[in-house]
Amino acid sequence: MAGLYLHIPFCSSKCPYCSFVSFPGMEQVMPRYARAVESELATLVRQEQETPIETVFAGGGTPTILPTELLIPLFDAIRKKFSLAAEAEISIEANPGTVTRESLARLRQAGINRISLGIQSFNDSELGKLGRRYRTGVARQAVMAAKAAGFDNLSIDLIYGVPGQSPATWRQTLEESLSYVPQHLSCYQLTIEDGTPFAEMMERGDLDLPGEEDIEMMDEMTVEVCRSAGLRHYEISNFARPGRECRHNINYWRNGDYYAVGSGAVSCISGRRQRRTEDPVAYCRMVENGRSPVIEEENLDRETSFRESVVIGMRMLTGISRADLVARYGMDVQDCYGGLLDRLQDGGLVELSPTHLRLTDYGRRVANTVLAELV
Amino acid sequence: MKHIRNFSIIAHIDHGKSTLADRMIQKCKLISDREFKDQLLDNMDIERERGITIKSQTICLPYQARDGQTYDLNLVDTPGHVDFSYEVSRALTSCEGALLLIDAAQGVEAQTLANLYLAMENDLEIIPVINKIDLPSAEPEKVALQIEEDLGLDGSLIQYCSAKTGKGVEDILEAIVKHLPPPEGDPDKELQALIFDAHYDAFRGTIISVRIINGTIKAGDVIRFMSNGTEYRVEEVGLFKFRREAEKKLSAGQIGYILAGVKTVRDTRPGDTITLRDRPCAKALPGFKEVQQVVFSSLYPISTDDYEDLAAALEKLQLNDAALSFQKDSSAALGFGFRCGFLGLLHLEVVQERLEREFDVSLILTVPSVKYNFYLSDGTKIEVDNPAHFPDPAKIQRVEEPFIRATILIPERYMGAVMTLCMERRGENTSYHYPMPGRIEFTCELPLAEVIYDFYDRLKSITQGYGSFDYEMLDYRLSDLVKLDILVNGEIVDALSQLVHRNNSRARGLHACEMLKEEIPRQMFKIAIQAAIGGNIIARTNVSALRKDVTAKCYGGDISRKRKLLEKQKEGKKRMKTVGNVDIPQTAFLAVLRSEQK
Repeated sequence: MAGLYLHIPFCSSKCPYCSFVSFPGMEQVMPRYARAVESELATLVRQEQETPIETVFAGGGTPTILPTELLIPLFDAIRKKFSLAAEAEISIEANPGTVTRESLARLRQAGINRISLGIQSFNDSELGKLGRRYRTGVARQAVMAAKAAGFDNLSIDLIYGVPGQSPATWRQTLEESLSYVPQHLSCYQLTIEDGTPFAEMMERGDLDLPGEEDIEMMDEMTVEVCRSAGLRHYEISNFARPGRECRHNINYWRNGDYYAVGSGAVSCISGRRQRRTEDPVAYCRMVENGRSPVIEEENLDRETSFRESVVIGMRMLTGISRADLVARYGMDVQDCYGGLLDRLQDGGLVELSPTHLRLTDYGRRVANTVLAELV
Repeated sequence: MKHIRNFSIIAHIDHGKSTLADRMIQKCKLISDREFKDQLLDNMDIERERGITIKSQTICLPYQARDGQTYDLNLVDTPGHVDFSYEVSRALTSCEGALLLIDAAQGVEAQTLANLYLAMENDLEIIPVINKIDLPSAEPEKVALQIEEDLGLDGSLIQYCSAKTGKGVEDILEAIVKHLPPPEGDPDKELQALIFDAHYDAFRGTIISVRIINGTIKAGDVIRFMSNGTEYRVEEVGLFKFRREAEKKLSAGQIGYILAGVKTVRDTRPGDTITLRDRPCAKALPGFKEVQQVVFSSLYPISTDDYEDLAAALEKLQLNDAALSFQKDSSAALGFGFRCGFLGLLHLEVVQERLEREFDVSLILTVPSVKYNFYLSDGTKIEVDNPAHFPDPAKIQRVEEPFIRATILIPERYMGAVMTLCMERRGENTSYHYPMPGRIEFTCELPLAEVIYDFYDRLKSITQGYGSFDYEMLDYRLSDLVKLDILVNGEIVDALSQLVHRNNSRARGLHACEMLKEEIPRQMFKIAIQAAIGGNIIARTNVSALRKDVTAKCYGGDISRKRKLLEKQKEGKKRMKTVGNVDIPQTAFLAVLRSEQK
């Protein structure tokens, strides 16, 4: 299968932890950007032995900051260009404060069948710390609006490890999230990315992050609370009702093929990975002038691609399928890693079954250390 | 011979020696300006960066003087650091005179003094030169007074210059011709050629720098090194112009080079005398000494795969650095490496930097040590410079360690601080005098081991850079030495062991533990770090276990970057050494060498 990613690089404001390609205050550029994305879509070359596009994911930034008049035609253009599979998963990211019941209903009608709401927290003080512009009231309205608009594949994004957060307030956020019976939940531990205001604050010692013990409690709590609500832990930061795992993201973790359009977007087709320019205006200009917006290309050799497939595949709790790797690369993990796997198994970090290689619960906590051996 | 002048330049680091040499080369039009590279004589990166000449070079300057005659001015360059004072003394022996170069803003410094004394011992004629007179902070009159009154030199000979702008340089050349005596010696006597330096050339073998004291040498002669009796046939003799220029012969008074197919510079020892096999001289020139390594450290490649590369690199380095000694060493923690001997700490640092920079080998060094004498209960005496060879403590009757006499020149106001530093370092028999007003020359007998451990850095820091330092070896004295071991998760990391005085052991142990704690990354288990003497733990600390290390988000746009981060982490791990089950980074080994006070 293959997926398609559409990047919308606009936001109403920039959050102090965010290192994504997103820019506030660019309302005037939006129509031009939408036209440029349509042009780029038109230039995409489809592969010969085309597998159908099974997932589309509009991410950001905040895709829903685009008015639906601009947004919906983009999905129409995608349909026109690619024959989407009948059961295609078509997702959009949305933030509270940028959606109404009406706008969401229009999106749902346009065929978007999955929504991922960037709620982050149901605690006003934490939302403030995170630089979010809305408060819990608006967050709740967004969830209700999505449900009312007919989204029956709803995901909620949350952040934990927020400055000032305690295990107790995290539990409240988790429990309230689950009370809306979402099909999917993403719980990301806050990462301090270089170059963000949070990174500067941390440097100055002004960031009151929860301690290690608290984080550990939150980790355990998350798995436990989700499990009792019927959500299965299927990737390091993701939980879903069976069958409602995000197919688009699973394709990333299986190192599958994906197309991409939009500024900052990355595609990967047959081992050729391309990154587009991040600056939305530069992106528009390049596309308007008939130039490719791709500014970086990487061609993965077989061995690198194999190792990459292993390290990202291990993010999933089922791990990687040995048969899949053999089919794709003609190589089994045991041939590639040999005695290293025995060492990691002895250390209680990985489990090797006849069919799969996966991280243990402990291995997952220190995944980077383990994956740095396998990369 | 009347038209030859042999001289060198005595100067403190940064007082402008290389710049002055460059200006002289330009004035004598030895090369075109196009060929001119700034600081021509200091042609190694490290030398240029630090402004220190380590390997001396010699150059023959044809100078047309105001009397209309052309003179060969042989400038013998000298290293400017305390580790190399023997090399300096050999270079000075080959000259009749010296320029004493002093910074107009800084005045006289300890090393300048030490080298000046050396020059005086060799009866060299001295021309004082005050440099950097164009600096706003220059006080040439004050410095001139120092020279005259404090150093007792002839004030009428003082030359003023700015090597940077070239002002006064011609007058210096004139003064060299006028005031320095031409060499003496008899070209018809038996050959006595003094080796004062040697360089290695991949095509021609060792290029031997010599001063012909007596006699004559030409291609085809068979020469003999008096220190070891080895003989070689001379392939070529010549002068050091900008490039080497072959001559028919070299005679008494001249400075030049000899090519004789000598394979390594080790066979040519500075201070040795060359004579002719068929007509040998009766006696070698005085003053020859075997080089003495006083600081020892083991070098290990970070990646054990690089061992062969390190061996090759050391061999290459030694071709040009006869003072470096090395032999195989091995460590349970670090694998195979080399135990190396150095003239001093700066020499060690230079070798380390050259290996890493020119030969691209990443290294781990062990704590530098001096050579101790152990007297054992069975009546034998052994020399130990490596903690790995520390004898069974039950069998040690007594230990002796080398002492030096340090000469420290400082502005008066730092007297207290320097005195305190010397006392902290177990200094004895301190004394001082005022070689000039406002300046104190402080002498102190110190254990060498205390000096190689960051003494110079500390001196610089407590005197805000004004203190200068020189030393000479004295003798061996009784010591109370212990072997300090560092244990990581209960296993001794042999490469971190050090020989220390009992009184310092606790502080050193604590320091090592703290440094390691900072440098060893958290791992999947708690790591205990301990310092121990014999079986007794004297300091301890812990690195807590890594509880979590996982990337929260990884989607299409992140994959490449995350993979590269993991690859970087993997590379980093490769550069670590595994002791037991603990990964120790190179930085941890180096951190232990770092000074306690910043």
